[in-house]
Amino acid sequence: MSQPPRAKRSPGKGQRGHYVLRLFTAGDGSNSKQAMVNLRRLCREHLSGRCTIEVVDVARDFQAAVRDNILVTPALILIAPRPRVMILGTLGDLQKVLVALRLPGREA
Amino acid sequence: MLARCRSISKVATQIPGFDGVLEGGLPRGRTTLVSGGPGSGKTVLGLEFLCRGAAAGEPGVFVTFEEGAEAIRRNAMSMGWNLPALEKAGKVAIIEARFGAEEVLSGEFDILGLLAIVGGHAKRIGAKRVVMDALDVLLRVFGDRRRERTELYRLHDWLINRKLTSVLSVKAQREGDMEAQYEFLEFMADCVIRLDHRVVGQVATRRFRVIKYRGSGFGTNEYPYVIGHHGLVLIPVSKTELTHQPLGPKIRSGLAGLDAMLDGGYRRASCILIAGSSGTGKTTLATTFAQAACQRGEKVLYLSFEESQEALIGGMLSAGIDLRPAIRSRRLMVQTALPEALGADGHLIRALGAIDAFKPNHLIVDAISACVRMGSQQAAFDYLMRLVGVVKERGITCVLTNQSSGLLGADEELSGIGFSSVVDAVIQLHFVEADQQIDRQILVIKSRGSAHSNRREPFVITDQGIRFTSNPEPPSVQAGQAGRKDGGR
Repeated sequence: MSQPPRAKRSPGKGQRGHYVLRLFTAGDGSNSKQAMVNLRRLCREHLSGRCTIEVVDVARDFQAAVRDNILVTPALILIAPRPRVMILGTLGDLQKVLVALRLPGREA
Repeated sequence: MLARCRSISKVATQIPGFDGVLEGGLPRGRTTLVSGGPGSGKTVLGLEFLCRGAAAGEPGVFVTFEEGAEAIRRNAMSMGWNLPALEKAGKVAIIEARFGAEEVLSGEFDILGLLAIVGGHAKRIGAKRVVMDALDVLLRVFGDRRRERTELYRLHDWLINRKLTSVLSVKAQREGDMEAQYEFLEFMADCVIRLDHRVVGQVATRRFRVIKYRGSGFGTNEYPYVIGHHGLVLIPVSKTELTHQPLGPKIRSGLAGLDAMLDGGYRRASCILIAGSSGTGKTTLATTFAQAACQRGEKVLYLSFEESQEALIGGMLSAGIDLRPAIRSRRLMVQTALPEALGADGHLIRALGAIDAFKPNHLIVDAISACVRMGSQQAAFDYLMRLVGVVKERGITCVLTNQSSGLLGADEELSGIGFSSVVDAVIQLHFVEADQQIDRQILVIKSRGSAHSNRREPFVITDQGIRFTSNPEPPSVQAGQAGRKDGGR
C-alpha cells in the first residue's frame, strides 16, 4: 500500500491535521475538470492552509493508475491522515465527500 | 454481389472447430461479445484466444474484472498455457481490474482510468488483441443503464480506434436476461456468440451459437463443444454439403465364405452394420476383419464400449483370433470407454482425436447399442451420425456392431436406430433352433453398390475362428435386388 513520494508541495507533511489528497484525472475530460473545481473549493472552504493536492493525469502516467488501481476517473484518494479512502466521481455531493474525508460539515 | 465481395478481414482463433463456424475467425480490429452462464467456458475461450494469439505473434491484454490475476494464471496453467512465461516474454499482459468494497461514489465518473491502464500495457507489448472478462462486473459500478451505455460506447470506440481485436465477455443467467440487460451490447458488437451450458438427462452439454456476425456469413446452428485438457474443442457437425468419399474397391472381410456372399468382400470406405442378438458372434466377425486388415498392413481403430482391451483380447483368443501382434505392431489401436463416463460430445471428441492421431484405414465401433447409455437415444444417434459422417469424409471403412433384441426383424431394428441411410451394408447373425441344438446363421440383408447372396448360411465359431459349414455360392444374377422375393425359388 506504500506510495512512492510524489507530492511536490507538501510543506506541512507529517504535521497533525494536515491532509494529503491525490486526484486522478484523465486528460481534460469534463468530469476531470469538474472534479478539480470541486476539490479546490473544498480545500479552500474546509481545509484552508492544511492540505496538499497532488494531481495525476492517468493519460500521461498509466503506471500511476496501475499502482493505485484507478479504473475510473476522476478518483480522489485520501493519502493522509490514515486510513486511506477512495472517492470516485466529480465530488459533486459535498456533504458525502466531507463525510468520507472525516471532515465536519459547515453549520447550516 | 458487391457486398459479398467486400469480405471483412478476420483473425483465426485457431480453436479447433470454431473458425469453421465463424467462417475464418473473429472480425479483425472489431469487438466480439461472448455471453454465457457460469461454467460455460467464457474465461477459457478468452484465455485460449489470447494464448493462441501470443503463439501466432499477436500479443494480447487480458483484463479480469472478477477473478484475481493469480486465479486466472492457475486456470490457464490447468489448460497447459503458461501465462507467467508469456507475460515475461512480453506477449501477454494481465490486468486485474477489481474495485475495492470501500469506495465512495460522488458525482459522475468514467472509465478513462481503465482505458489508460489498458492502453499503457497494450502499447508496452504491442497488443493486437484484448480480452475483457466479466465486463458486467465493471458495469455494475455505474448503477444506471444510461451511464453503463455511455461507458460501453466509450470503451467500444476506444477499442475500435486502436484496431484491437477484442473479446468482451458478460455473464448471462438465462437467454431472457441477456436480451434485456445487454441488448445494446449485442447491437454494438460486430460478432455475438452465446455459450450455453445445460444438463440434459444428467449429462452436461455445452452449446455454442453465433447470434450475429456483421458483414460475414456464419454457421447458424448450435454447435456442441467441450472444455478439454487443452482448451475448447468444437465438434464439426451439420455441414450443409455431404462430402462423403465414394465407395471404394472390395476389401476382404477375413472370411472367404462371407467374401463369396458379398461378391468379393466389403466395399472400402463403406459403413457396414453387423447386427445380431447377444452371443451370435458380432465381435468375432468384426475382429476377424480387423485382424485380416492389420495383416495386410492397414490400420484399424477399435472403439470398445463393452469390454476392456484385456477382455477383448482374451475373448477373441478363445475363438482363435490373436489380436496381440496387431496391437504390438501398432496397426490395431483399441480405445475403450464406458458409455456413461462422458457425454456423447465428449465421446465424439475422444474418438475424433484418436482418428486424427492414429489415421486408421478402418474403424470398428463395438457396439452401437451401448451408445444409448451416453445419455439418450438422441445422444447416441447424434454421436453415431457425426462419427460416421467424419469417417465417410475421410474414406475410412466403418464396421458397427449392434446388439438386437432378436424379437424384431432386422429392418425394424434398423429403422429404430434411425440411420439406415448411412449404412451401406447390413449383415445379420441369427440363432436357429435345430433338433437338439442351436445353430448360427449369417445373412447379408443389404450391400449397396454390390451384388450379394440372399441365402442364410450356417457357420460355427471354433477355436480357430469362424468357419462356414456350407459352401456359400457367389450371388446369383437376381440376388442383390431383394432377397425375399427370390427366396421361394
